[in-house]
Amino acid sequence: MKFKDYYETLGLARGATQDEIKRAYRKLARKYHPDVSKLADADARFKELGEAYAVLKDPEKRAAYDQVGSQWQPGQDFQPPPGWDAGFEFSGGDFGGTGAGADNSEFFEALFGRHFGTGQRGHRPATGQDHHAKVMIDLADAYHGARRSIVLRMPMLDAQGHLTSQERTLDVSIPKGVRAGQHLRLSGQGAPGEGGAAAGDLYLEIVFNPHPLFRVDGRDVYVDLPLAPWEAALGATVTAPTPGGAVALAIPPGSAAGRRMRLKARGIPGSPPGDLYVVLSIVLPPAGNDAERDAYRTLGKAFDFNPRAHLMEETS
Amino acid sequence: MNPVTMTLIQGTVVEEEVHLSLTELCRACRAEEEHVLSWVFEGVLEPLGDSPRDWRFGGESLRRARLAMRLARDLDINPPGVALALDLLDEVAELRARLKRAGRLR
Repeated sequence: MKFKDYYETLGLARGATQDEIKRAYRKLARKYHPDVSKLADADARFKELGEAYAVLKDPEKRAAYDQVGSQWQPGQDFQPPPGWDAGFEFSGGDFGGTGAGADNSEFFEALFGRHFGTGQRGHRPATGQDHHAKVMIDLADAYHGARRSIVLRMPMLDAQGHLTSQERTLDVSIPKGVRAGQHLRLSGQGAPGEGGAAAGDLYLEIVFNPHPLFRVDGRDVYVDLPLAPWEAALGATVTAPTPGGAVALAIPPGSAAGRRMRLKARGIPGSPPGDLYVVLSIVLPPAGNDAERDAYRTLGKAFDFNPRAHLMEETS
Repeated sequence: MNPVTMTLIQGTVVEEEVHLSLTELCRACRAEEEHVLSWVFEGVLEPLGDSPRDWRFGGESLRRARLAMRLARDLDINPPGVALALDLLDEVAELRARLKRAGRLR
């Protein structure tokens, strides 16, 4: 286990005031909040911030941490000295900020784990809590429906009050037509109820694995289709990939790059079904040998074409 | 880890098939009723029905309420601030979707 410098996480000096701690946390939390930030490591950064803030905002925990922290450097191997917390009183209860206690680091648990998390937050009815998880599926699963085994880690308290996690596997049917961001409700698959009361529900948020060809927007799907210049100019019948399989697509003569062709009801199925949009692009073949260069020269002679004609008109 | 007997679980798609009562929504996003009430008054959530007792929240409310809860809890934002943040996040999402449609963003 490595020692974590919570002051460094928040970009603060050890002598920072409680106000400075709050300000630094707020500023960084807004920057790295996973719902706001699109940075790849926002989730991890935000958890670290929350953990640092949970300790430093609380004068009791901060004092205990400072006592231990004076003897360690960040990254150094760390074991809490026996009896390190003697003489400190902990009010216990809720951390705020970080949400589920299971997200805290091993370092945090070693220092504060045993004191917290035993009490339920607020008054809860006896019904078990609802749980949430994300499930990654492929776009094809939304077209056809699928069966997915998902492994869930449930935070549990052991007999000593330490947080551990228990794994369980669920075999879930992914309904055809489901879209990214939607939630599947699995009744009774949340936390068990107390005293024979009903269990909570499990909500699964659907996330699509990124696809190399297809982009998804709600129920619509987009795919880029490159064309040769003569196919775009003269029209052609070409093969286009769709999540439901390849289709033959008639390209009308005079198609411009960026033009979108809509294939009705070939998006994500449902009522109404989504559409598939084929976005045309034009790719120039390289002039690699004499014959190909001649072909371009012939093309140049055949046209009275200046793609920059309008630029001159605009500047004069 | 003990092996668990696998039975296929059928879920319901919340956004399409489910309406949530105030109590159900509070439980699903771990919010106190007063939070949800304040978000309704700010227009973050728009339930059907006249009084809180009769409110029925559309499935889309689940995503919005959870987002509102995280913002309120993690950043200590008050209800008008949550409402503003959600509006701006919707706008960002719409702009990103437009970039994605144009192939500028994966």
